[in-house]
Amino acid sequence: MANKSVWSDNRFWQRSAAWVTGFAAILLIWLTFDTSGQISMGSDADLKNGVTKRVPGPTVINYKITYEMDTKRGHEVPVIGAKEKFFGRDDYSEKEAGDLLHLGKLGSQAKNCMDCHTLLGNGAYYAPDLTKAWLDPAWESTGSMQAMTGKNTKEEAMAEFLQFPSKYPTHARMMPNLGITAAEAKGLVAFLKHMSSIDTNGFPRNFGKIQGALNGK
Amino acid sequence: MFEPFTDIVPSFFGWLNQGPLTLTIFLHSFIVLPMFWIYKQEKNRLENEK
Repeated sequence: MANKSVWSDNRFWQRSAAWVTGFAAILLIWLTFDTSGQISMGSDADLKNGVTKRVPGPTVINYKITYEMDTKRGHEVPVIGAKEKFFGRDDYSEKEAGDLLHLGKLGSQAKNCMDCHTLLGNGAYYAPDLTKAWLDPAWESTGSMQAMTGKNTKEEAMAEFLQFPSKYPTHARMMPNLGITAAEAKGLVAFLKHMSSIDTNGFPRNFGKIQGALNGK
Repeated sequence: MFEPFTDIVPSFFGWLNQGPLTLTIFLHSFIVLPMFWIYKQEKNRLENEK
């Protein structure tokens, strides 16, 4: 009988398949735990002790967040700075801040923000990407959005806009009035502020270079 | 080939993923190389059977 080739031998393929499947299964389980560690939310203690987390704790709303170029990583990263007042306070407890974020998250789901906007890569591109909306200079004291709402702080301007979007013509596509209450608007702004502090590896790409946006022309 | 680790949260996969294709090359090598070993074992077995 002629030499039987290994390639036509069942056992070789069985063992190879078992190895590839088994290894891939172990790898996926490992990756799942690795990802859980990467995306788990930090705590108030982490913020106070300068422990960097991809997703900072809810009390990050007590701090100033900036978006700065990291030359080593090749993209901008959110930097958590000194204390900053948010709706007149910079001493939100972990519970208060967490409740506020929770209200904002539920609000964003109830009002279907993702029907038009993108949040952390999920949603639509009909309206502006909100992942880093808090860092948009248009909402700063020198920005057009804050000037239009006539408010003195970024958070108040955003909350005002969210409650009465049809009063403020902005985009070629105007935001409809969704009946957002003052409390919900506060939660939504907190939710957006926290989202902007999440390290998204530079996503959305070139946010800082969009015309009229951060570091833009 | 090896670049300093700059990711925000240290992780084995993050370390492997710092350069272009490093994670892909590592995982593919790790999966394919043992298959040579399986091949040799099966070849020996078939030769001994004869």
